Amino acid sequence: MSTKKIKKRIGLFTLNVFFIIICFVGLVPILYAFTLSVSGDGGALTSKMSILPTSFTLKNYAAVFREKPFLLWFKNSMVLSIGTMIIAMGFAIIAAYAFSRFQFRGKRKVLLLLLLLNAFPQILSMFAIFRLFKTLNLINSQMGLILIYAGSMCIFSIWNMKGYFDTIPIEIEEASKIDGASNGQLLTKIILPLALPAIIVTSVMVLIFVWNEYLFATTFLLNDKSYSLAGGLYQLQADDYTRSWPMFTAAAIMVSTPILVIFFAIQKYMVSGLTAGGVKG
Amino acid sequence: MKKRRSFALCLVLILIVGSLAGCGKKNSNKDTSSNSKDNAVEATTDDTSTDQTKEADEQTTEETKPVSITVWHDGNEAIMQTIQDYINNKLVEDKITVTFEKKTGLTDQLKLYGNDSNNGPDMYFYAHDSLGMFAEMGILSPVTDVVDTSAMSDLLPMTVDACTYKDTQYMIPVYFETLLFMYNKDLWEGDMPTTTDALYDYMVAHTDTKAGTYAVVNQHSTAYNVAPYINGFGGYIIDKDAKAGLNEQATKDAITYNKKFADLEADGDYNTVTTLFNESKAAAIIGGPWLVSGINDAGINLGIKSLASFTLPNGNALAPYSGVQGIGVLKHAVDSKKEALAKVLTAITDMDLGIALAKTANCAPSNTTSYDDAEVAANEMVVAMKETAATAVPMPNIPEMSAMWGPTESLLAAVNKSGEDVNKAADTYQENAITAIKDMQ
Amino acid sequence: MKSKKKITPWIYFTPALILISVIIVFPILYTGYISLTNMNVFHWFDYKIIGFDNYQRALLKIDSGFIKAVFTTFIWTALNMVIQVVVAYLIAVGLNTPGLKLSRLYKTLLMFPWAMPAYVSILLWRVGIYNTEFGLLNKIFVSLGLGKMNFLSENVPAFIACMVLNLWMALPFMIMMIDGALQSVDRCYYESATLDGAGFLVKNIYITIPSIKQIIAPAVIMTTFTTFKQFDIIYLLTLQKGSLTGSTLQTIITYAHQNAFVSNNYGLSSAVSIIIFLIIIVCSLGTNRGVKEEV
Repeated sequence: MSTKKIKKRIGLFTLNVFFIIICFVGLVPILYAFTLSVSGDGGALTSKMSILPTSFTLKNYAAVFREKPFLLWFKNSMVLSIGTMIIAMGFAIIAAYAFSRFQFRGKRKVLLLLLLLNAFPQILSMFAIFRLFKTLNLINSQMGLILIYAGSMCIFSIWNMKGYFDTIPIEIEEASKIDGASNGQLLTKIILPLALPAIIVTSVMVLIFVWNEYLFATTFLLNDKSYSLAGGLYQLQADDYTRSWPMFTAAAIMVSTPILVIFFAIQKYMVSGLTAGGVKG
Repeated sequence: MKKRRSFALCLVLILIVGSLAGCGKKNSNKDTSSNSKDNAVEATTDDTSTDQTKEADEQTTEETKPVSITVWHDGNEAIMQTIQDYINNKLVEDKITVTFEKKTGLTDQLKLYGNDSNNGPDMYFYAHDSLGMFAEMGILSPVTDVVDTSAMSDLLPMTVDACTYKDTQYMIPVYFETLLFMYNKDLWEGDMPTTTDALYDYMVAHTDTKAGTYAVVNQHSTAYNVAPYINGFGGYIIDKDAKAGLNEQATKDAITYNKKFADLEADGDYNTVTTLFNESKAAAIIGGPWLVSGINDAGINLGIKSLASFTLPNGNALAPYSGVQGIGVLKHAVDSKKEALAKVLTAITDMDLGIALAKTANCAPSNTTSYDDAEVAANEMVVAMKETAATAVPMPNIPEMSAMWGPTESLLAAVNKSGEDVNKAADTYQENAITAIKDMQ
Repeated sequence: MKSKKKITPWIYFTPALILISVIIVFPILYTGYISLTNMNVFHWFDYKIIGFDNYQRALLKIDSGFIKAVFTTFIWTALNMVIQVVVAYLIAVGLNTPGLKLSRLYKTLLMFPWAMPAYVSILLWRVGIYNTEFGLLNKIFVSLGLGKMNFLSENVPAFIACMVLNLWMALPFMIMMIDGALQSVDRCYYESATLDGAGFLVKNIYITIPSIKQIIAPAVIMTTFTTFKQFDIIYLLTLQKGSLTGSTLQTIITYAHQNAFVSNNYGLSSAVSIIIFLIIIVCSLGTNRGVKEEV
């Protein structure tokens, strides 16, 4: 009994060491950015630099807040991400549900068609969307950008969630149907809780996509007060000649941190209703 | 029964969609209002901006009403701020407000917004080499339609030429840049060589690649930084008839000659070479005024020479490209804001603005009278650029130039970094360049 | 009754389909339209339909360089996908080991590369890791007494460098997908398997993989497409204007970019886009089989 326990302990210890190494190696480029951001105002890179900072100052972070409308960008990023999440997920959940639950002619073809459409490089669509939005007066509007993002992520979300919905045994629904639940009730009361991990995972993907997108953001939004975080960062620091490394890296770290906070917070909801409910498929 | 259910679901859906759309709209409207509160000058979002353009129409008749002019740029924000402050200060009586907005990837942005009177800018501030492309696209108005340029006789002729495409002037030059030989006075030993061969000998003697110390560093695989050699050898990247010259013998000789230097100039990436110089690991760098603020921060004892002071083996001086930074007017803005634009164009050529730019950012002003100022005349860097201007070759501004950068740099990288044979690579990339130019049509 | 049943799913699809038509389908059709015109710098506003001339010219671009790019793209996609799925699977399984208390922290830290905008990550790698003078790898090389190495100047090292970066950027996504999928595997199976004396390998091959295959298949298929059309990494790492590194590594997309898009000829580049799109469709008919199984 005790040897088994020791064996397990050793296993866990090895695993912990393994993950600490993996995390460290994975974080090296980030640590590099962090070191640059807290190392004063050297202005550029340095050959002396080690991975861990030798001096520590937060003035580059302060400078980002002082010189750039960082909080405004943050708000814009929030509006864009949440707006996109609501629309893309709302549309995709019902569509994915239908793809998973209804049998109809041409279903496979439609799914395949969606996949192929998604293969068209998005950057090529920019010009066409620009023309369309100009006519619809959606240039420089957050709603316009939200529609672009939602459209871009919709196919992905449908595909991704359909896979999960397929794993939810149809017997559960049939049982509820006998109890007199409508399709709408089925979706909200039964399917959504069961598919919660899938929904969270997909939402996070949508969120990160919007959070990090910069090309559409800088093209379709016109002044620096309406940029998103990634857009503002790109706009101000994209080319070698005008980049201030310490400020750039400080801003980059600050752009990424909210995502991690959100990610850390939602993880406890990622436990499936399926396993919790103990239903066997 | 079932029918009604799905109908209800459908209705709910429509409601959801409707409310979402409503939400979004409200959101963006709210944003607009907060924006305009923040900065009353910036008119950007749909309805407000059309109102403002209408207003602007009326303004031309009554001069007391304020006019706002938006300028897009993709340059140094400190320089743009200097220009913006100067013009706004000067035109405060005329109630003209100029706003400089940074747009990364300005060329691509102007392709989309160049003729968009609702969302696009009124003017743009950029280097002159993309002028031909914008002019051919038909988004630019000749500046001579807006302002009488004959009054601007103080401008350096070279800079005016650079701003002229097919005999029409599309830009007002403000300042210009050339590459310079910048060195660390504490590291450089002995006298500065006057020939490139002597410079090479110095480099051989003072470079230790293994230890990471260099005599001279240069972005040796970019077209702009190799142009001094190519032009000096009598070669060309593209001539004025849009003929690519990558496999001309003179160009190839220049590239071969440059390769010798490149082997002693580190990797040639911008970040690498500037850091080497700023950390005193390189005694000299070939670069422009944009490097100065970083160099000063690093506390380097900076000395400056004109590239024209080095003679090539054939007796010619090194002849860098000159890049003229100027301001152009977009066609759509002329109808509604002509008078205000004329005032801005006039103000931007002021001697005082030139002096201010020279003092704050080491820009070499286009206005020759600015050099009469004692402090400007004493600015080593500005003077070196003015000196170089005599031999510098303005970057070609024909649209075909935009297709040349890629093949030229590929050629340089192939020769300098991958060790390919010059003759073979030159033929390949000449072919590429010809195809690229043909593809434009 | 029967006809209504046919319509029902389409009511569910309507909102998504409208959105997709506007944002995805319309641009493709519009690109198709532009490809039939002579829109370029010299005919920016006064362009007109010129028929299939652009296609004729675009097809001429299918030369040896293009074939090489196609070849590179396939190796790129295949290698990346295999490594990505295998590594992500192992890490995800490790993260789900019962008793691993810090797994939430590890998961969050592992997500960091994904939380950075792509251009920032690529820049950091180019300057911080691969740089010849200051890059971390070269610092390690030098301290080991080896010479400096330029990772991006030759095609093979550049390919590996791009691939490592792509894995770094894409793994968090895959880990999260597989981790999410693992949540739906019923723990009871493992318990009974353990009682039967099954080892780690057996449990994974007979329980875990079959259970999550269906869930992660869409994500894997989607990622395959993303990898296939990956542009940023190769372009920003090796081909960026002003900092070419000397490697001539090209995928289909970067090849098209260099050979059509820099020309500012929208008609021609649209034709090239449509042809590439058709190539992707043809290629995915291969994946079609895999898709058939899943649907």
